[in-house]
Amino acid sequence: MTTIISLMKQVPLPSQMRMGEDGLMDRTKAKSIINVDCSFALEAGLQLKSMMKGAKLIVCSMGPPSFEQSLKTAISMGYDEAYLLSDRRLGGSDTFTTGFALSRMLKHLGFGKGLNEDFIVVAGRQTSDGDTAHVPSQVAENLGIPQATFLENVEFKNSTIIARRIIEGGYQMLKLPIPCTLSFTPTGIPPRRPTLSGAVKARNTQVTVFNTDDIHLEDSQIGLLGSPTIVAKVSSIRSERAPIIMSQGHSGEELVKDLMKNMKSGKNSLEAISKKEAKKVEMPSDSEKVDFRNGASGILTWAEVANGKLSRPSLELLTPAVNLAHSLEEGTKVRTLLIGSNVQELAKELIYHGSDEVIIVDDARLQEYRILLFSSIFAQVIKAYKPEIALFAATTAGRELAPRIGVKTKSGVTADCTALEIGEHRDNKKKIVYAPILESRRPTYGESKLATIIGFVCPQISTARAGTFEVPKRDEEKEGLITPFTPELNEQDFVTEILETHRGEGGLSSLFEADVIVTGGRGALSDDMILIKELASALNTQGVKCEWASSRPVVDLGVCEYARQIGQTGKTVRPKVYIAVGVSGAIQHIVGMKESESIIAINKNAKESIFANADFGIVGEYEDILPALIKEVKNGFVFGLDKDK
Amino acid sequence: MNSDDTISTDVLIVGAGPAGLSSAIHLADEFQKSGQNRRIMVIEKGNAVGAHILSGAILKTDALKELLSEEEYTNLPFDCEVSSDKTLKLSATGAFALPFHPPVMDNMGNKITSLCQICRYLATLAEARGVEVYAGFAVNEILYENDKVIGVKTIDTGVNYQGEKQKNYQKGTSVLARIVILAEGTRGTLAKQLKSKFDLRKDALPQVYSLGIKELWSVPEGNIKEGAVYHTFGYPLDANEEFGGGFVYGLKDNKVALGFAVGLDYADPSFDTHAAMQVWKQHPSIAKFLKDGTLIEFGAKTIPEGGWNSMPKPYTDNVLIVGDSAGMVAMPALKGVHLAVTAGMCAAKAVSKALLNDDTSEKSLSYYKELIDQSRIYSEMYPYRNFRAVMTQGLYVGGLKFGIQLLTNGACLFTPKLEHDNVASKKVSEYTGVPFKKRFEDKLTFDKKLTFDKVTSVFYSGTHHDEEQPIHLHVNDIEDFSEVNIKQYGTSCQYFCPADVYEAHIDKEGKRSLKIHAENCVHCKTCDIKAPNSAITWMTPYGGDGPQYQNL
Repeated sequence: MTTIISLMKQVPLPSQMRMGEDGLMDRTKAKSIINVDCSFALEAGLQLKSMMKGAKLIVCSMGPPSFEQSLKTAISMGYDEAYLLSDRRLGGSDTFTTGFALSRMLKHLGFGKGLNEDFIVVAGRQTSDGDTAHVPSQVAENLGIPQATFLENVEFKNSTIIARRIIEGGYQMLKLPIPCTLSFTPTGIPPRRPTLSGAVKARNTQVTVFNTDDIHLEDSQIGLLGSPTIVAKVSSIRSERAPIIMSQGHSGEELVKDLMKNMKSGKNSLEAISKKEAKKVEMPSDSEKVDFRNGASGILTWAEVANGKLSRPSLELLTPAVNLAHSLEEGTKVRTLLIGSNVQELAKELIYHGSDEVIIVDDARLQEYRILLFSSIFAQVIKAYKPEIALFAATTAGRELAPRIGVKTKSGVTADCTALEIGEHRDNKKKIVYAPILESRRPTYGESKLATIIGFVCPQISTARAGTFEVPKRDEEKEGLITPFTPELNEQDFVTEILETHRGEGGLSSLFEADVIVTGGRGALSDDMILIKELASALNTQGVKCEWASSRPVVDLGVCEYARQIGQTGKTVRPKVYIAVGVSGAIQHIVGMKESESIIAINKNAKESIFANADFGIVGEYEDILPALIKEVKNGFVFGLDKDK
Repeated sequence: MNSDDTISTDVLIVGAGPAGLSSAIHLADEFQKSGQNRRIMVIEKGNAVGAHILSGAILKTDALKELLSEEEYTNLPFDCEVSSDKTLKLSATGAFALPFHPPVMDNMGNKITSLCQICRYLATLAEARGVEVYAGFAVNEILYENDKVIGVKTIDTGVNYQGEKQKNYQKGTSVLARIVILAEGTRGTLAKQLKSKFDLRKDALPQVYSLGIKELWSVPEGNIKEGAVYHTFGYPLDANEEFGGGFVYGLKDNKVALGFAVGLDYADPSFDTHAAMQVWKQHPSIAKFLKDGTLIEFGAKTIPEGGWNSMPKPYTDNVLIVGDSAGMVAMPALKGVHLAVTAGMCAAKAVSKALLNDDTSEKSLSYYKELIDQSRIYSEMYPYRNFRAVMTQGLYVGGLKFGIQLLTNGACLFTPKLEHDNVASKKVSEYTGVPFKKRFEDKLTFDKKLTFDKVTSVFYSGTHHDEEQPIHLHVNDIEDFSEVNIKQYGTSCQYFCPADVYEAHIDKEGKRSLKIHAENCVHCKTCDIKAPNSAITWMTPYGGDGPQYQNL
């Protein structure tokens, strides 16, 4: 009988997290809920069971005893058994350690001993308070089983799993064997409500609680001690935007006219921020400088290939890679791993964009990205070249590949970074200065804070948010090495089949290339985003590259596909003009668009925080404003972009 | 019936408010005393106990003292004791403190509290006695066998807007119970069905309601004294048009609870209680307490205030009704919590005796009514039985007649008949007074510091509803609604609803229609009460949906 194991985390209810008197988000008073992605995984587990002839459903979590409440909810939804790993010594664990500890618990329960076992791990894509999407990949690697992440729904057919995976601009159908790990986006079948009879059952079901001794975890493997990465510091994100200019008027037409006038008279765009000089590492007299790299050197990036082309985020990645190399010792190399079929020409492009050496794995069987093969090849390349830093674009592939590799190298991963710099870390107690070290910065959820995360194991691995860095200037004069690499490929790593890859119009790439993005938020839903799309198409007709997108709530409501989501858990974009319609301006959204040159906010509620993050604002019903705006666009108004032509 | 989805219990209590939880606690005690080993289940539609509880609340603690052990009573989470008690008559610009108030309205010595917190505490005491409390489960359906109540069924979930079963469909659970106690609070959905099926209101006057809106604020030190109690009447209400008033209570830690309640028997179809409260807050005597403060929570509920004569027969075979669902609120003090507790205790005694004698018939359960008649429910409600009725004649005539009643133990000549609140509404064309919007046209822009629009207020209720469910507010006859409620009454629901659930939508052609934003609903049930022609029926949405009150 198949066992379906659901991994679940309890998180504070985001809507109840209020700003405390100290300006920080107060999570303590928020009610706890099952992390939304995890609740979709719980439902996916129940759906899988209904397709099988008998399956046992178990739910596992790691956290404080208060998590029992959510585990019981899972029981009341139809799960059979619940397990909680709970120990104070686990405090401070990073994602690497969390994945390790959870895997150890599953092994303790008898899973993960070989590939002939009959179990499926289901999990949420990511948690709302961590947003890394690491743990499912890490559990899969620790258990040594195949995985598929970012899934919308799954079917159980002929003893295999058929999964629909969301990728940039489309989806992919995968066929996986059992055992496997599956992670789910909150876009599939919504979690069922508990039944009262289920709640009665849950009341009488004991949650099995393990401490770290029970599952034989050493103190050195868990908590801060066991975590290869730590949060080094947290700082506030400042807004460099000039105060907003609001439109005046009594009707949609008047307001739009005033907006046009304002945009003409005063360009209110983002001030250029002066680039910081690379920090000189100064040695205090009584501190010992430690270079923990142990001879590791150079920066390795991954060149992702989609539809036979280099993906734009992989090119963007070369910007921080080159900058980092410059901040390190002279001669530090940027190497790029390019895996695919007939990709020689692409290798040159990578060199033109800044790579010093392209390591090519050219194999007809590797035309499409497949996690088991790619992570194995990466591990072999890392072993051969010993890079000190490895960088991935935070695409759906990069976000599952990096953590799987991070387990193989025992170095952990920092997810979704918006800034990468070389710095130093002082341990005042030990009087040690670790330098040079990679400082990976990322915004932390629900807070206007930027966390700096560092790791002490090479390669230091980070994923960089797509759209955060500019694509480097192409220079055909630039020279570099192209080195073929022949990895050992294990037949077992071919077990997951790609049945179909579908990349449609729109989505990721066109969002990054658009000069204008029109985004609809929760406050622009009453017409199913028809006006939003009309405005975008009117601009396209005028010859302006324009795309439409949405904020997270709209995607969660199923009105818009995930690929068009802007914000922390979606995409970061920096168009010339960003038009936010009915977007409230939650910090999670702001971080995804704040680098746009000009931001125009349209919202009926003048108090929404979007207005604090925009250059031009209109207060009014979007149903009145947009028709007037569309009319002006049809008459030739293109938000000042005609000057660029 | 699928046996998997059926569970049985001896006693099922619907609603974990003060009445339901007191029933459970006292019943567990009575069972223990009489050596009965029985199962008691409480189900609650809020996602946690207390989430749908809202009250002033100045509590008369006598009933809780009887219900609980001394230790349990000592640990009740009271906020503070009333330290001063003033009644203010407000005019548009000034205020006049009454030199005295009727003894029945005196609050000195009473406790100020959050009823949310009290209920959460009572639930732990019930659980400690072996009572099973399940929050997050909603019921819309009573189960009958041979025309007698045998239990209830929780609602089916995983049904979309159009009523089609989805992949996550879950059939509701049938709960069979020997006795069901309905403690659903004001305008209970099941109690309404039961009263209608068994004609339990046949000897009662119509029930009338107030809509009460409450806000909880955090204010700078010194704005108000802990334990200070102010009740206001007068402005912004018109003494001849609306009956009601406001309250401001100083709590510990510089918190302020304030509320505004208006009888729903007003005639003006454009009257808006939420907006009236915002106007009231702008009065200097109120605004000073809130200066530089911040809103923490918002909520609204209706209060059955018809009094003794409006109470239904609170029992029939296998079922009892307690608390607000049975209209147990003492007027003019507008206090019902202590009566809810008392009702719960009376119900518990009657149920325990009935089960001991293995007789749950109507006759056996009539003992419940006997106990009520001997309790404070009678002694505090009967003498004021005509209070609300005379007040329909306006504050001055009503006040005079109420004065007479105080001397005659409630008897009064020329008592007007109470009528249903929705009948009191006048059509737009027939209303002769100054419409609400006109009366306060300069005070209806809300600054979002002191005053708030409804949508912002709703945010502070924490309310949430699953979008994938049939809409829980039923317009009984769409065509009729368009003809009567929209055309004749100017879509009065857009005004009386305090949560912006109802939008009077005008499309490009100027056609008027009703848009329902069910997700904003705070479960106050005003629409079920006040919609002209009883055009809207409030049904229970999925369990766990609705407001998330923390400290109201």
